[in-house]
Amino acid sequence: MSDRELLSRRGFLIDAARIAAAGFLIADLQLLSSCGRDESRTDSSFAHLTDAEARTLRAFAAQIIPACDGAPGAGESGAAHFVDRAFGMPLYAQSTTVIRSGLADLDARARSALDRRDFASATGAEQIAIMRAIESTPFFANTRTLVIIGTFADPSYGGNRAGAGWALLDLEHRPTFSAPYGWYDAHAAPDSRAEPT
Amino acid sequence: MTGTPRDQRTYSERDVVDFVIVGSGAAGGVLAKELATAGFDVVVMEQGPWLQSSQFMHDELAIEQRHDLLNIAEEPYQTFRTTEAETPRRNTGLNLRYLRGVGGSTVHFAANYWRFRPSDFGERSRVGAVPGASLEDWPISYEELEPYYTKVEWEIGVSGAPGPFDPPRSRPYPMPPLPIKSSGVLLERAASKLGLHTQPAPFAINSHPRDGRSGCMACGHCANYGCEFGAKSSTLVTVIPKAIATGRCEVRTECTVFRVDTNEKGRATGVVYWDGAGRERRQRARATILAANGVESARLLLMSASSQFPHGLANSSGMVGRNLMFNCYESTFGRFEHPLNEYKGAVAGRIIHDFYEHDPARGFYGGGGVDARFPYNPIGFALGILPPDVPSWGPEYARALREYYAHTVRFTGHITSLPQPTNSITLDWEHTDRRGRPGLSLTYADHPDDRKMQYWFQAKTQALMEAAGASKIWNQPIAPSDGSVHLLGTARMGNDPRKSVVDRFHRAHDVPNLFVCDGSSLVTSGRGQPTMTIQALAFRAAEHISRFARSHSI
Repeated sequence: MSDRELLSRRGFLIDAARIAAAGFLIADLQLLSSCGRDESRTDSSFAHLTDAEARTLRAFAAQIIPACDGAPGAGESGAAHFVDRAFGMPLYAQSTTVIRSGLADLDARARSALDRRDFASATGAEQIAIMRAIESTPFFANTRTLVIIGTFADPSYGGNRAGAGWALLDLEHRPTFSAPYGWYDAHAAPDSRAEPT
Repeated sequence: MTGTPRDQRTYSERDVVDFVIVGSGAAGGVLAKELATAGFDVVVMEQGPWLQSSQFMHDELAIEQRHDLLNIAEEPYQTFRTTEAETPRRNTGLNLRYLRGVGGSTVHFAANYWRFRPSDFGERSRVGAVPGASLEDWPISYEELEPYYTKVEWEIGVSGAPGPFDPPRSRPYPMPPLPIKSSGVLLERAASKLGLHTQPAPFAINSHPRDGRSGCMACGHCANYGCEFGAKSSTLVTVIPKAIATGRCEVRTECTVFRVDTNEKGRATGVVYWDGAGRERRQRARATILAANGVESARLLLMSASSQFPHGLANSSGMVGRNLMFNCYESTFGRFEHPLNEYKGAVAGRIIHDFYEHDPARGFYGGGGVDARFPYNPIGFALGILPPDVPSWGPEYARALREYYAHTVRFTGHITSLPQPTNSITLDWEHTDRRGRPGLSLTYADHPDDRKMQYWFQAKTQALMEAAGASKIWNQPIAPSDGSVHLLGTARMGNDPRKSVVDRFHRAHDVPNLFVCDGSSLVTSGRGQPTMTIQALAFRAAEHISRFARSHSI
C-alpha cells in the first residue's frame, strides 16, 4: 500500500467513525470487499522489534482481527506498533521472550513446510493453517492478547491508529454523551419512560 | 479552608488528637467529616495518594490492565484456598480488590446505592439456622438506620426514584434518576411480559449539578475509573473536602498503619505507621477508628496482637477476619438487533427487586436484585466476552466484535452470600510486603445455598432475556467465588461479645476506645451494592461516637 493510499485510508477511517456516529450505517458500506486481506503497513519505526519480526507480527495480527466488511482490523490499527512498545513496558515484559521465539518459529514453519521466504510471504490460507497448528501455545495466547490490546488501547500506546479499533466496534469515541444512548431508548414510547407509580 | 490537600490543617506527632481514623474511603470519609464538623480534632491515615478529579482518564490499559488506580505494586501478596486443609495458592493480588488512595474504593466504584430492607436485619429470626452458616440478626433495625440512609442520599448525593418494593423512607431522593438506557427499556419490556416490576436504579451520581459538583456527563466510565467531572459522589469529592474545610481534619496520605497500640489498661493509644519514606511514626489519639475496609481492618486487628491480646486486638470472640462475605452474582448475556450502546451513561438504568426477599418455598436461603448492564470497555470485551461458540480469532471473530459490542447487554442477579466462620482473612507472615506487612491469605468457599441461589437467578435472567427479545442468549458460567470487590463481615456487629467483634455502636467489645466501622461491620451481605449501608452505618456511628466523646464515656 502506497503512502497516498495509506493517507486516504486514514481519512476513510475517520469518515467511517463519523458515519457510524451519525447513523450506524457503516455495515452497509462495502469499501473493503473481502476479509483476511494482508493490510500490513510498511513503515519501520520499531524500537524493539527487528524489521523481520515486525513483518511477521503484522501478518499474524492481520489474521487475528482481519479487516472485514468495510471495517478496519488489527493491521489497520497498527497493533504491531503497540506490541513493539509493549516490549518496553514492565506490565508485558514477561511476554517478550515467548513472542520473539514464537515469531521466529512462524517463519521457520513457513520456510520448512511451504518453502516460503517467511510467514508474511505465505498466502492467507497458508498463514491460517500455520496458526491453527500453534493455537494452543503460550506464544499464540500472549501474542493474540497483545494484538487485541494494541487494537483497542488508547492511540497514545501506538496502536488503534486514527481510532481504527473503536471504528471496528462501531463505538463512538467521545468524552461525554447525552441520552438517548441507543436505538431502544431513542424509540421507547414516552409512557414507558415515565417513572413507575 | 477550601477543602483541598494544600490548605489542610496539620497535626504534629506530639499532639494527642481526639480521633485517628484508618482509611479515607466510604466509611472513613464520612466519619472524618462528621467528627470534625462536631468539633473534634481528626487525623485520617491513608496508605495511598491523594488524586484530583482532573487526573482521572479513560485509559483502559492503565486502569483495567495495569490497575494503576489500585496501587497494589507495593503490596502484591495474596493467597487463596477454599478450605483450611488446602495449601494456599498465590494469586495476582487482585482477588481482594480495592483502591488505595483518598476516597478509597468510592473513587472507582460503579456507585449503585440500594438501601437494605427491614428484612435484611432480622433474617436469622425469620429464616432460622442455616447449617454451616453463622447467620445472625443485626443488633440494629432498619428503622434505626433509616435516618442515616436518608443522610447518605442528601449529604453524599444520590439520584433515584422509589420503586414498588422499597422500604419506607423519611424523605424523597434529592435528585431524580439518571436517564433510562436501552438496557432499561429492554428490561422493562421483559419485566412487564413476566409480571415483574422495574424501577430506576439509584446511584451515588449527580443527575444534575448539585453541591458544587457537575451532573453526570454520561461518559460511561464509572466502574473501575475515577470520575473526571466530579459527578460521581465519591468521598474524595463529597465529605473529604468538607472535613478538610472544618480546619479540624488532616488526611495524611502515603502512610501505612501497621499496628494499633494499646496500654497496660487495655486501651488503644493510637496507631503506628510507615510514612511515605518508610520511616516508622506514631499518631496518638484518644480514640482509634478503623475504617480501612473488610480485609484491611481485620488484618490490622490481627497484626496488633500483643501479650495482652494474643489472638489479635479486639478478638476475644475469635471472629476477627471470619464471616467474610462477597455477594454472589450470575449473568445472562443477550444480543439485540439494534444498537444499545451500553458503553454510554452510568452502569445501569433499571433494576428488578421482585426477588429481593428470602422465600422459604425455594428451599434454600437467599435473595437478590437484577440489573441490566454491559460494563465492558473494548479491550476487556474483545478478550473474553463474546459467546462461547464464536471463534477467538479470524474473520468470524472480527465480524462478531462488530456485531456484538454495541448490541449486547447482560442481565445480572446480585445475590446474597451467607456468612460462614470458615470464610476468612488470615495473616501470611511467610510472605511480607516491602515494609514487612504480612500477606493476605484468603480462605473462601461459597455456601451450597449461595450456589443454589445463583442457579435460581440464572433461570430468572435467562427468562428475562428471552422475554426482552434477544436474538442470541448465553450465560456466564457459574464458578466458585475466589475474590470480590465487596469485602464484608470480618468484624461483625453484635450484642454478644462471644460471637461478634463490635457492639451496636461499632465499639470493640474488648477495647473501649477502639471502633471499627466499614464493610467488616456487616452481619449479613444484603443483595449486593453494600456501600450505601456502609455509609449509613458510618453516619450513625459518628453520631453515637460524638455523643460518647462529649459525655466522656469513651
